[in-house]
Amino acid sequence: MLEKIESAVKDFNAEINNVNSTETLEDIRVKFLGRKGLFAQLFEEFKALPKEEKPKYGQLLNKEKNNASAKFDEVKDEIESKSVSYDSYVDLTLPGVKRKIGNKHILIQTLDEIKVFFKGLGFAIYDGPELESDYNNFEALNFPEDHPARDMQDTFFVNDNFLLRTHTSPTQIRLMKTTKPPIRAIMPGKVYRNEAISAKSYCLFHQVEGLYIDTDVSFAELKSTLVSFAQYLFGADVKYRFRPSFFPFTEPSAEVDIWWEPKGKPGRWLEILGCGMVDPNVLDNVGIDSEKYVGYAFGMGVERMALRKYNIPDIRLFFDNDNRFLEQF
Amino acid sequence: MIISLNWLKDYINLDGITVEEIEDKLSTSGLEVEEITDYPKTLDGFVVGHVREKIKHPNADKLSLCKVFDGEEELSIVCGAPNVDGGQNIILAKVGAVVPNGGFEIKKAKIRGEKSFGMICSESELGISENHDGIMVLDPDLQPGTSAAKALGLDDVVFEIAVTPNRPDALSHIGVARDLSAVFGRPFNYPELKLDENKPASSEQVKISIEDTAGCSRYIGKVVRNVTIKESPEWMKKRLVAIGLRPRNNIVDISNYVLHEVGQPLHTFDLDKLAGSEIIVKQAGKDKKFVTLDSKERQLKADDLMICDGEKEVAIAGVMGGENSEVTESTKNILIEAAYFHPSYIRKTAKRLGLSSDASYRFERGCDPEITKWAADRTAALIAELGDGEISEGEVDIYPNKYQPKIVNLRYNRINKILGYEVEPARVKEILDYLGFKTESEYDDSLNIAIPSYRPDCEREIDLVEEVARINGFDLIPVKPKINVTLGVKVDESAYLDNIRTLLTGMGLNEIVTNSLLNSATAAKYGNPIGVLNPQSVEMSHMRPSMLPGMLSTISKNLKVKEKNLALFEMGSVFNQVGEGEIASFDDFSEIKELVIALTGNSVEHAWYTADDEYDFYHLKGIADELITKLFVDNQLADNYYSEGDDFYKYGFRKVFGEEVVCRGGLIENELTDSYDISQPVFVFTVNLTALKKIQPEEKSYTELLKFPKVYRDFAVVIEKNIDSGEIISDILASSSKLLKNIKLFDIFEGKSLGENKKSLAFRLEYYDNAATLTEDKVEKEFWKVIDKVKKKFNAQLRG
Repeated sequence: MLEKIESAVKDFNAEINNVNSTETLEDIRVKFLGRKGLFAQLFEEFKALPKEEKPKYGQLLNKEKNNASAKFDEVKDEIESKSVSYDSYVDLTLPGVKRKIGNKHILIQTLDEIKVFFKGLGFAIYDGPELESDYNNFEALNFPEDHPARDMQDTFFVNDNFLLRTHTSPTQIRLMKTTKPPIRAIMPGKVYRNEAISAKSYCLFHQVEGLYIDTDVSFAELKSTLVSFAQYLFGADVKYRFRPSFFPFTEPSAEVDIWWEPKGKPGRWLEILGCGMVDPNVLDNVGIDSEKYVGYAFGMGVERMALRKYNIPDIRLFFDNDNRFLEQF
Repeated sequence: MIISLNWLKDYINLDGITVEEIEDKLSTSGLEVEEITDYPKTLDGFVVGHVREKIKHPNADKLSLCKVFDGEEELSIVCGAPNVDGGQNIILAKVGAVVPNGGFEIKKAKIRGEKSFGMICSESELGISENHDGIMVLDPDLQPGTSAAKALGLDDVVFEIAVTPNRPDALSHIGVARDLSAVFGRPFNYPELKLDENKPASSEQVKISIEDTAGCSRYIGKVVRNVTIKESPEWMKKRLVAIGLRPRNNIVDISNYVLHEVGQPLHTFDLDKLAGSEIIVKQAGKDKKFVTLDSKERQLKADDLMICDGEKEVAIAGVMGGENSEVTESTKNILIEAAYFHPSYIRKTAKRLGLSSDASYRFERGCDPEITKWAADRTAALIAELGDGEISEGEVDIYPNKYQPKIVNLRYNRINKILGYEVEPARVKEILDYLGFKTESEYDDSLNIAIPSYRPDCEREIDLVEEVARINGFDLIPVKPKINVTLGVKVDESAYLDNIRTLLTGMGLNEIVTNSLLNSATAAKYGNPIGVLNPQSVEMSHMRPSMLPGMLSTISKNLKVKEKNLALFEMGSVFNQVGEGEIASFDDFSEIKELVIALTGNSVEHAWYTADDEYDFYHLKGIADELITKLFVDNQLADNYYSEGDDFYKYGFRKVFGEEVVCRGGLIENELTDSYDISQPVFVFTVNLTALKKIQPEEKSYTELLKFPKVYRDFAVVIEKNIDSGEIISDILASSSKLLKNIKLFDIFEGKSLGENKKSLAFRLEYYDNAATLTEDKVEKEFWKVIDKVKKKFNAQLRG
């Protein structure tokens, strides 16, 4: 019995002193200290010993097993501290384990900001098709056929009756045809213009249309809403002006300029949106009584807002989708 | 349109008003000033210089060395223009001057070893024309040192105004002066006409008739005899140069001048070239060719409105005159045409010919039929004054549809209702009066207003409300502290897509937005695309029938800039023609929303805590499943798998709702990725969002939390390699009682020790009883039943 114990201790020591990885350490634990390990076997044999020999071997066996356990724990600590230790020394400067969250496209983020504002004022949000009828895109919106007003929007035509919508305004027509006033909604979406691609213009862009029809809507109501919007987007002290303009589907019509001072450059007026009171012809076209109901409408370009807000020098960057660009926002 | 401040002052007194105020008022009353050029300011540092001597540059063949006197001293200047010579007066940019075209500052320089103290300028460098054929040579009588602005007649400020298409009345100096008169409350005046008329009368020298009275509702002809064609005087040249026109001869200059003065396009014929001394306004009658005065041959259509003489066409009405009747140096007698042509006739022809002239631009927006006579007289008076002509008495005035002013009722309370603030009745009248809208009759609550002939845009009450609003100024419209809010359920049709965006970005994907126009070959590969008639380029001729090509080209572009690890998505509309033939209604094509997700490269890049982890099929499946789960439609979609090619996929899966394929995902075929120069695997998942949105999501509802512990049992089996784990799982689920809540495959192992074509799968079964703590016995029984079933059905061996 004594030989067996000594041999086990000798083997254990030989193996434990050569261990250099947590895997072999586990093997040693199983081999010697596990429930069916060598020491456990020795305890089984010990049970069968004659009564008089038990005290002698019992003490020895217990002592050696405890020594082995202690030694094992010591070596285990040592080995674990050699790899990465969370106990002994913590390198707090190591970077954290990366958890990646992706980015919405910066145009969508900008659009989200716009939506948040108008949703807060009780505007619904509607979607409309990009491939539209000439009627919805122009005629119903009071663009006479063969009128120079049509030159304001270079159009991609599919044929005489269908086109790629040049603005989100046809969604107004769809909404007014299917919904009874009061109507208060914004209508975001892609629009297309047949313009050469450059740093300043692209063949498509995103627009947000706004519409409010009720019995007591006035230009003052429109102005109050849009001034509040400009303040929301560009700060409470934004300097703005409403400048008379022309859109066939609103009258009076206005463009809203904000005073813009890019770093190191002289300030100038910058147009951010177009708006106006819905032209009675448009209401008549969709069967809304233009004497009883009054409405306002507005439209703004999302790219234009984002270019300025984020100091982006070239509109094409939005549509190139270079991952390094996407990751910036 | 360009407006000269000096010129404006002929019609309205603007004393005491600054340029900035004028700019501001123009812009805020509807005539947006896009740019102001203050010539004395931009030409500061440019003076008349006298070239005293020119010698060849010692070190350069094409350069010369000039001694230039600037009025004070003689400067040494290196010049590269071949036309520079001793004795010339030129425009000298002195050191410190900023060249308008290019914006660079002139500095002292050493050019090929010779010092240079300034620059001799061309017209293009000064920004006054496109002409850069050498330097500008000036009048030899000019004093050296005179400012360039003065010498060039540019001691003026010009406004570039963007006139909206509804305001043809503002396309002239008088028109702008009229608006300023209303804005500033100052009177404006037409210039005085001095007509010294002689016999014979115009009507004795020319016969005029209109055949197409719809196309031409007024035609005035007035004759001026014995003119001398010569250069215009300086004052007129200066005016024209200031607004960007190049002076030619007195006759051309005068018609340009009157057009920009009052907005009426004019044409001048050489009367002696008109066969039969006759003018007939009629349609071309048949397709034919016609040479315009720019010597270009134009293709006419039968319904183009033409000006003809007794034999032939002599001008395209309202667009451009003909070469055959043009005024030349030898012209003696002139017929002045001042007419009103119908906008749509002119627009149609000008557009088709791609010929936009100052005349057609105005006619197609709508001219003033009542100003024609004044304009003809003004032209005649100027020709008499500047071309020594004798004005023939009267004119031939054919005016079949005389202008009848429309009377519009304007209610004060309507103004207040639309604008949201009260405008005093007296102020309403005043504004309209300044703009030339006469009050026909007046009531307590409204006015009857006569619309002037120069305002074709005004025909309804709302048009007058706009006039009042813009002249009174939008500044006066109050900003209220409160607005109305309408209560009711608010639709948000963008919420569905926005939710998907949030889910996908949460899983680490970046959103892209690509061009929805593709080239025809690419588009045709992915569907039945719809083309545009007038594409910007062949690369963008068709609407995308699928989101896939935009995604693949985005990946391709990113790989070129070494962005190789990409997790991207895009949502957008895709367009497909339904059936063949012309698109005549919305039923002939589909426009649906689609989502595309793509994964390529590494999902995780190696770091101190991990090795590289490459995107594979299971990453894609994980994202797809999580998305569908979080949309609460996972129980309604069934998964189909395929390992043979399916369109663009080498292998992959579909998610189907009943019969409809709603989602597809998998590894993109090499052939396709190769065509985009993509040399790494790309995993793509596409969703028909329009179809997905229609599936009613499971209602969210509370499930009671677990009260008793779960019990787990693990087992591993060795089976044939080609048995799918999914098959085993569904089999176990089908054959177990409801105590089995979940199965997780937690290990897969293949190795020689298992034998050829074998694999080991390890599962963890999760048991739970809602009603009570599970007993060991019950679980053991369930568990061994499962194992027996699996062993038998899949010929599996239980492992260790």
